[in-house]
Amino acid sequence: MIRFALPKGRNLETALAAFRAAGIPLNGFDAAGRSLRLRIPETGIEVLSLKDWDLPLYVGHGVADCGIVGSDVLEEVDGDLLVPVRFREGRSRMSLIGREAGLPAAGTQVRLATKYPNTARRVVAGRPWGAEILKLSGSLELAPVLRLAELALDIVQTGRTLAENGLVEIETVAEVTPCLVVNRASYQRHRALLNDWIGRLEAAEVVS
Amino acid sequence: MRVSAALPTGVAALLFESARRRSEAEERLVARLRESGYSEAILPILDYLEPYEALLTPATRGELYRFVDRDGELLALRADFTPMLARLLAPRLESLSLPLRLFYRGDVIRYQEERAGRERELYQLGAELLGLPGEWAEKEILRLFLELATDGGEAGLQVVLGFAGALDELLLAADVDDPVSLAAAVARRERGEVRRACGTLLAVVEDGLPARPEDLGPEAAGRLKSLLALRDEMAAAFPGVLLTIDLAEFARNGLDLRLTVAEGERPYYDGLVFHAYGGPAAVPVGGGGRYDRLFRALGAEVPAVGFSLSLERLLESAP
Repeated sequence: MIRFALPKGRNLETALAAFRAAGIPLNGFDAAGRSLRLRIPETGIEVLSLKDWDLPLYVGHGVADCGIVGSDVLEEVDGDLLVPVRFREGRSRMSLIGREAGLPAAGTQVRLATKYPNTARRVVAGRPWGAEILKLSGSLELAPVLRLAELALDIVQTGRTLAENGLVEIETVAEVTPCLVVNRASYQRHRALLNDWIGRLEAAEVVS
Repeated sequence: MRVSAALPTGVAALLFESARRRSEAEERLVARLRESGYSEAILPILDYLEPYEALLTPATRGELYRFVDRDGELLALRADFTPMLARLLAPRLESLSLPLRLFYRGDVIRYQEERAGRERELYQLGAELLGLPGEWAEKEILRLFLELATDGGEAGLQVVLGFAGALDELLLAADVDDPVSLAAAVARRERGEVRRACGTLLAVVEDGLPARPEDLGPEAAGRLKSLLALRDEMAAAFPGVLLTIDLAEFARNGLDLRLTVAEGERPYYDGLVFHAYGGPAAVPVGGGGRYDRLFRALGAEVPAVGFSLSLERLLESAP
């Protein structure tokens, strides 16, 4: 039995579509349902439904053997997990956004709002300007709009929300991709099965 | 006044049953070490920082708790037993009768970001064998490690074997600007990045081994053959332990100077290297290997092999 953690958020549809395309059916898993745990006896898989931010912890502890999580979360929590493949669909970007184009002038100090304080510290390190990092849990666009912060560091998909709020994408700092993550100990134990899954995902050209 | 029982992040107090379990396990393991001819070294928890400066990598430096003593000396809390023992023995080696078999026990204190399974205070027990060259010493230490790590039974224990520098030739020949980043990608099994850089390394990422041993270069291929024989011998002696060779797991343990600035966990290993997973958690319960170059860096020439085990992690993983 292998425990596979699926995310509840925006990466779920990407994950389900990719596994369907690879011929690894997760029959019975109802993305809209309330079930948090489902055994699929014919495949030897147990699916757990977890929030994105909790998923690396479950995989790191070995409660789940593997899972799917966005690289934005993975970079932020640094769970020392294996990352064999990244999915082609569901990609977005992590960007610095603000009211005006252009980064702060050298020597200035600004406030930067984000859900990703560790990533933000790495992004700001080495810049000629400084930033006080404000950790928020959502609606990050409001921070620059209402002048809580000059900048925000957040995920941008289409840019429509930014445009609607009069904001601009100043700089893309990273591409964000849904990733398959695997616990190091589980990889040793389930290597053949995981390599089979990965091979099928690669053959279906849904990962890179 | 009510006093809070809260402790700082990453440390824990063991009381009652948990304390008794750890003490009993420690006594069993120490008895086994003594029976095997190892004598105890009792080391301080506080030391000067200066002797370790040349041995630190950015990662191990970041783990150290450092401070200035009242008399102005820069001190550090013990974060690793092996370098401490090595720096105390290196100046005395000529007057010592070799081989030396030593064991130690006690806390190591390491700053860790707050995350799963990463304690800041860790009670370790370990052994070091100095002055015995070649594969015999590696065999003795690995066998002793397995005996101690299977104290709670063999079921569920996975031991991964490799050797430092195994992938150096492939990493340095790959079509990349930064072989250190490629080594990290191999260790994280990032297939896309590895495939683009070096097709030969892809087999190592998938299976832990190259398609043909000679793909590693003549010297590493010879070492791989010896390691396969060692694995088979230990697998026969410990049939309940899953023993695998996985060179990707130790991709960051490079020997070439262009690869040794990387963030390898304990950067001094230069021969056999191994670690053990005791249960589902991704953090090993212990590990070890050959570290002759640590003594060389301290001005002494002596073959050295050793291991350490975390008692709490070992007990947590026991069925």
